[in-house]
Parts: sequence; C-alpha cells; structure tokens
Amino acid sequence: MAPVAKGGRRAVSAWSVEGLASHLEHFRLGPIDLALTPGEVVAVLGSSGAGKTTLLRSLAGFLPADAGRIVRDGTDVTDRPPEKRGLGYVPQGLGLFPHRTVERNVSYPLDVRGRTDAPARSRELLERFGLLPLARRYPARLSGGELQRVALARALAAEPELVLWDEPWQALDVDARHTLGEVIDELRESASVPVVLVTHDPGLAFSHADSLLVLRAGRPLYVGAPMSLLDAPVDAFTARFVGYENVYDRSILDAAPPGSFAAWLAARAGPGGVAVSRPAVRATPVTPAAWDGIVRSARPTPEGLVLTLRVGGLDLSARTPPPVTTPLPTVGERVSFVIEEMNVRPLGAGPALAGGAR
Amino acid sequence: MSAGGTGPPRPRRYRGTPWLVLQIVLTGSLLLLLLLPIYALFTYAPLSQILDAATNPAVDASIWFTLYASGLTVLAAVILAIPAGYLLARRRFPGRSVVESAIALPIAVPHLMVGLGLFLVFALPGTPLYRFANSIGFPVYYTIWGVVLVMAVVSLPYTVLAAELSFRSVDARVLEAARSLGAGPANAFLTVSFPLALRGIVAGLLLTWARAVSEVGGILIIAYEVLPGGPYQGPVTSTISVLVYNLFQAGDLEGAAAVSSVFLLIAFAIFLAVRLGERSGWLPWRRGDVGP
Repeated sequence: MAPVAKGGRRAVSAWSVEGLASHLEHFRLGPIDLALTPGEVVAVLGSSGAGKTTLLRSLAGFLPADAGRIVRDGTDVTDRPPEKRGLGYVPQGLGLFPHRTVERNVSYPLDVRGRTDAPARSRELLERFGLLPLARRYPARLSGGELQRVALARALAAEPELVLWDEPWQALDVDARHTLGEVIDELRESASVPVVLVTHDPGLAFSHADSLLVLRAGRPLYVGAPMSLLDAPVDAFTARFVGYENVYDRSILDAAPPGSFAAWLAARAGPGGVAVSRPAVRATPVTPAAWDGIVRSARPTPEGLVLTLRVGGLDLSARTPPPVTTPLPTVGERVSFVIEEMNVRPLGAGPALAGGAR
Repeated sequence: MSAGGTGPPRPRRYRGTPWLVLQIVLTGSLLLLLLLPIYALFTYAPLSQILDAATNPAVDASIWFTLYASGLTVLAAVILAIPAGYLLARRRFPGRSVVESAIALPIAVPHLMVGLGLFLVFALPGTPLYRFANSIGFPVYYTIWGVVLVMAVVSLPYTVLAAELSFRSVDARVLEAARSLGAGPANAFLTVSFPLALRGIVAGLLLTWARAVSEVGGILIIAYEVLPGGPYQGPVTSTISVLVYNLFQAGDLEGAAAVSSVFLLIAFAIFLAVRLGERSGWLPWRRGDVGP
C-alpha cells in the first residue's frame, strides 16, 4: 500500500454515544455508552446474536433510537437519516455495488453529492490503495483482499467522520483476512476518524483495537482497554471469548472434595467461577506444589502440543513448554504441571440478563 | 473414491446410461414439439408468398398496429407494473398476499372470459365505466384502447411478478451502504435498487410484450376490428393474431402461414437484438455479471 498522503483534511470529529437503546423486532439493544476520539479503533465483540450488527445499524441510522443520543462534536445527530450522518458504513459482506466498476464504486459517494472533482478524487484513492490496475473491473472478478480495499477506498471517498465496519472477513478468503489488519492500520493512519469495528474474532480485536466493547444479549458486558479484559475477564462468557481454554463454573467447583485440584481452584474462584490459562506440563514434578493429570488427547500446533488432561474430576487444557520437550507426552501418560497464582482469574457473575436465558 | 484395479467400473456405467438416454430422449422430444410448429409455419407457404405478405399494405398495417398497441402495453407495464412490483417487494401491509394472488389471477383465467368481463365493464352501454371511458375520450369497443386494455390485463402480471422478485433479490446491505455513503432514498433507488433489479424487470417486460402480441381471446370480444381513433389513425385493421385467425377461418392456409412467418421474423429479431445488446454491454442491465 502506498504511503499515507494527508493534506487538506478537515478538523476531525469526536463522537459520543449516550445511553443509546434500540430494538429490532423482539431484540433489545442497549443502553450503550461509548466515547469515540479521532483515530480510535473500537472493536465490538460478542457471540452471534449479541447485537453487534444491530448496534452498527443503529449508529448508522437504519434503526430508530428508542432512547439516548448520538452526538458528533456537540451536535445531536440521533434523528438524522443515514445519508446525513457523515459515515463510512461497510456492512457485512462489504456491500459493494456489483453493477459498478471498481472506479465507479469508489466514486459513488462523490457522484451522489454531485462533486465535480469526483474523477480526480477517486483516481487518487484508487492509486493510494493500489487499485488503479483494477479500476475497470467489476467486483465479481476481484479477490477478497481486493474487495476489502475497494470497500475501504469507497468509505473514505465519502470523507466520513466515523467509519463503521461490520464483520470484515465474513465470506472472504484467507488472504483477505490476513490483509485486514493492514487495512485497519491504513484507516487509522490516513483518516483520523474513529472506527467502530464489529468482529467475532478476538485475535483481530486484540491486535488492532484501542478499546473493546463486549456485547451479550444486547447489553454491554465490558467497555475498556483490551489488556484489562485479558487480566480480568468479566464473566465466564468473556473469559472463553478472549481465549481462556479452562473456564470452570462456580457450581462445578463447589462440590469438590477438600485437597483436590478443584477445591484449590474453588478457593480462588469469584462468583462466576474461575478461568485458568494453559499451564506447561513436565514429565517429572519439579516442585512439591505440582499437580498431576492423565493425558487424554494431544494436538500438535506450531507452538507445541496442546494437551487435554484429566485432573481429578476436571478436564484441563495444557501445553508442552517451548521449546518442545523430547520425548513428547503420549495419551494415557501421567504428567505434572504447576499453576501460578497469577494465571488464575476469578470471574464475576456478569450482569443480570433481562428475560433470563437469552 | 476411484475404482482402482479391483472394482470394474462397468456396472456403474450400465446404471447411468439408460438414465442419460432417457434425459436426451425426453429433452429432444420437447424441443421437437416446440420447434415443429414454427418450422411448419416457415415452410408451408412458398418464399414468394411470404415476400408478398411482407409487402401487403393490409398485413403491414396489422403488424404496425400490433407493435404499436403492444408497445403501449409495455409502456403501461413500466408505469403501473414496476411500481406495483416494488411495493409488493418492499412493503409489508395487511392483505399483501391477497393482492399478490389477485394480480396473478388473469394468468389463470381463460382469456375469452377476461375479454367478456372487460366487455361487461367497459363496452356495455350504460355502465358507469362505459360512460366514464367515453367521456374522457377513451372509448374501448373496437378501438386501440380496447386492444391495449385486453393486452394489459393479461400481460401486466408478468412484469409485476418479475419486478417483485427482482427488487426482493437486491441485497439490502448494498442498499444500506448506498444510503450511508450519502444517497437519499430516491437516489439509492435510482442508482442501486433499480439498476440491480433491471435485468429481471426487462425479462418481465419481454414476457409482457410476448404475451400481449399473442393475445387473441379477449381481443376477439372487445376489438375484433380496430377503427381509427385516439392515437391510432390508420386504416381499419386488426391485431396480427386476429388477422391470422381470419385467414385461417377463410381457408387461406398459405396466407395465414405467410403472415405468421413475417411476424415471427420480426419478433425473433426483437428478442435477438435485446440479447445481443445485453451480451455486448450496450444495454446496461447485465453489467458486472460473472460469465461469458
């Protein structure tokens, strides 16, 4: 990608979302509070049906707000139609126009505004994103990565004051997924506007977002920096979501016999249970404080073996330490491991959910 | 998956072959059934008679009239049927499925009965619509308006249904992208919904046109002959289908076949022109499609 060419940009916008609530049929979203500073990337996480897309469509103006406000630089834009919000909205599947060439896709926001500099401006964007050779092609003939760059160039052609990007790589190929991080960095650097990025991949969120909003059943579970979410997952759902393999509910631990591994965990659990990152296993105990378990399965990964151990009545995911020890543990073998206190996270109960089991 | 050296592949071929033969025989029979009547029409009359028919003023008047009336019908489809299709595709309202069924009804009702119904409503002196149509200068009985009315009733449903399906298949997310990028509702319709639905709509308009020119039953009742009046100021004539029907009734088989040949050539030329226009990209509605 060509280096960023700034120049002649307007003053950048700060947005705030205050108690925004909306609904789509029976699904209720909110209230959501968010502050977006220029250039900030906020990743919205959550399992499917958590309300990620609903939030984006509500910010974009496709769902009316039931309560709350959306404010841009002090101006209330809550009731403005989508075309008057100053957005670059990239919907699921990118929403490119199949009947327009790459060039005409990118120039669309300028065309509908009747801008006379549309051809020159869109050429500039095509050049910046390496799309000039593809200018006359139709979207059906592009790869996933190319489609993403077209979507980004088109969103920037609108000179947006907020970029909303939904499920970026859904239905796109591996190459597209790989380049998405670059696209987001480009977006952050070239247009210093806030970006709200909906994703269900924690990897992307952790590597590219400044802050995270975790949604569950339409309600915010967590808003804040990515690292604090890793250090203190708000509940069992979030712990699994951010990548903890070993998450135990309070109910399982409470019945544990004294002196067992489960009882040891129970003593460290919060009201929502406990999360444990994968410990490294050793063939022989190195300290008296080590636990031991039987290997139930072993899965090779680039970082070594990922093992499932049976420890007392619990399954525990563990790993071989890098560099890989030889000989490797085999199924049925007894191995030992040590869990550091700092790798055990007590979990909260999470917010009470309206309507119970949603 | 492969048969390898042990399993002979012959049994599989043995099972597949009759099925393939059956498919070829059935499809071939269908093709024969469809093409034989057309072949017969073109070969029954000698070429000289076809040329005679093509230059006969009465035949020409009938062909021009048929193209004129069917053209007005297609125009009516553009004005009435496309918005109806859009409404059915995009809006939810009580009784929508009733409206959908009602619009499709003329396809199922025998066209002689459609003509009779229109006769009772528009052509029977004394009925309110008869008086209304005459008072605003649209008399129906034995006029071009009667022909267009019958053609419209039997053929507009095709455009409504095609437009409804086409608008419904436009990806809502693409539309939302257009809106957020600065297009108001009308602009998004003109730049995104309509162009994307156009291919299906054009297919519907072609069906409407084909159905309109082939209409006989209703026209026999409302406008067996067409007298000059309204937008048609030519000689007394009839639609091409009625003309062929009359020639056949009079026992002039060669004349009927010759006139049919002339008209079929014109119809094929129109279809071919549209297809070639699409292929070459000169007509806009298939731009961006994948494929040859």
